[in-house]
Amino acid sequence: MSAAEPVYLDYAATSPVDARVAAAMSECLTRDGVFGNPSSLHPHGRLARERVEHARAQVAALIHAEPQQLVWTSGATESNNLAILGTARAAARRGRHLISARTEHKAVIDPLHRLEHEGFQVTWLDTDQYGMIDPQRLRAALRDDTALVSIMHANNEIGVLQDIEALAAICRERAVPLHVDAAQSAGKVAVDVRRLQCDLLSFTAHKMYGPKGIGALYFAPARRAALQPLMFGGGHERGLRSGTLAVHQIVGFGVACELAATAWQADAEHCERLRTRLWLGLQAIDGVLLNGHPTARVANILNVSFTGIEGESLLMGLGELSLSTGSACNSDSDEPSYVLRALGRDTELAQSSLRFSLGRYSTEADIDRAIAAVTREVRRLRAIVP
Amino acid sequence: MSDPLGPQVRRLFEALAHAGELSAAMVGAGATPADATAAHATRVVSGEAGRERRGTRVRFTLCLDGDRLLEVRYRAYGCPYTLAACEWLARRLEDGGPGRIGAPGEWAQALQIPPARMGRLLVVEDALRAALAAAGLSPALSATVSE
Repeated sequence: MSAAEPVYLDYAATSPVDARVAAAMSECLTRDGVFGNPSSLHPHGRLARERVEHARAQVAALIHAEPQQLVWTSGATESNNLAILGTARAAARRGRHLISARTEHKAVIDPLHRLEHEGFQVTWLDTDQYGMIDPQRLRAALRDDTALVSIMHANNEIGVLQDIEALAAICRERAVPLHVDAAQSAGKVAVDVRRLQCDLLSFTAHKMYGPKGIGALYFAPARRAALQPLMFGGGHERGLRSGTLAVHQIVGFGVACELAATAWQADAEHCERLRTRLWLGLQAIDGVLLNGHPTARVANILNVSFTGIEGESLLMGLGELSLSTGSACNSDSDEPSYVLRALGRDTELAQSSLRFSLGRYSTEADIDRAIAAVTREVRRLRAIVP
Repeated sequence: MSDPLGPQVRRLFEALAHAGELSAAMVGAGATPADATAAHATRVVSGEAGRERRGTRVRFTLCLDGDRLLEVRYRAYGCPYTLAACEWLARRLEDGGPGRIGAPGEWAQALQIPPARMGRLLVVEDALRAALAAAGLSPALSATVSE
């Protein structure tokens, strides 16, 4: 490990909390702040409720929704679970068929597997070599008993952006609700639910310089009655999600969304410039392949495979960088990335990938350090392969 | 800050001093292959196991003077635990010969390698056994390996 501070290049995993967000949150914790329970009717509670509703308006504004179309959750995973399990179970008498894609996040795949155990049938759409879903594949997969389609906006590993408008149009033709996991796109690109025409949309605070532990699910007006809650105990959030509201996190999410609404374009330009610098630097190494679509992707993610290199060794040799491998790399699992496998990458290339994800605080010096470190480590490891 | 690799694996992984190749020409200062072969009966043998697409491929190369093990090198494609195990084994082989290497379970214990990675160590073992067999040091010495 280098003595210098490690370079953070894992913004797709999480981002640091913006100081302005942290300041707003800290006002909602202590005795002299807004610590009340927003469900209480007394002055402390009413003050907390005001802050919660102000934040709801801030969050809704980011995606061009109405505040009453949001329900607070603990993050995108819970939002995805509520959208998928809540919609499917509520619609079970009318249809038990669901559609999603092989490249979805586990927070979508696992609830769908849960529903398979409950007797639902899931059609898993293939993507092309870039990770894109052909809308005609979706059209062909829709059935009379399809209860829900769930497709992510930006892929968490490769950053590819799906054409949600086109997919939504097809769903609308058949009156099938569309859920969109926007955890990696909200605050990174324009997310306008009026334009996307999706029925449900999940997003979270901690990918956009807000706190961990708070997210939201948007639902179109017609969807409210068709959502079955997952949590019970007090009827909070109009019965959709019981539990005392975490005012400080909600307030932080609100400020993060307000900041993102004004900063996302500048952030995207900044990230794209640095991503281009990174990609040009890495291309000087032989055998480097881009994973994902060359243009239809969020600006902050670059996923590359290195031929002839084992990904975990590469990652662990890069002690001065904080980033992720495309493979599920931890001490318990060494499986290659299922996302890259779905794109048609062979096991070897799927195992040799790195995901660089940039953010507002990334610098040219960070990128140059990353290029130097990766070049060094790739050469070291390639020199010892049989 | 805890390192997922653990301190021993980290140290070995960052200093793969025995990674590389051996040839008869490299053995002994200034010796040519002909000198080595004729004067010292020096032999270089290797053994290999695994496949890249399965995540691990290892080749051990041994240099021997008669039955005496002089030097060990390896080449490996694999996770950090695989590379660290190869380096650790190469050092132990050079220090004490095949009698010191033990079995994969012992390697995992000594290096604090997670049980989920035992499959990788078995590939390392297969490569090492193949090299020892090529050196004519098995089955007697490989029996020692499995003790």
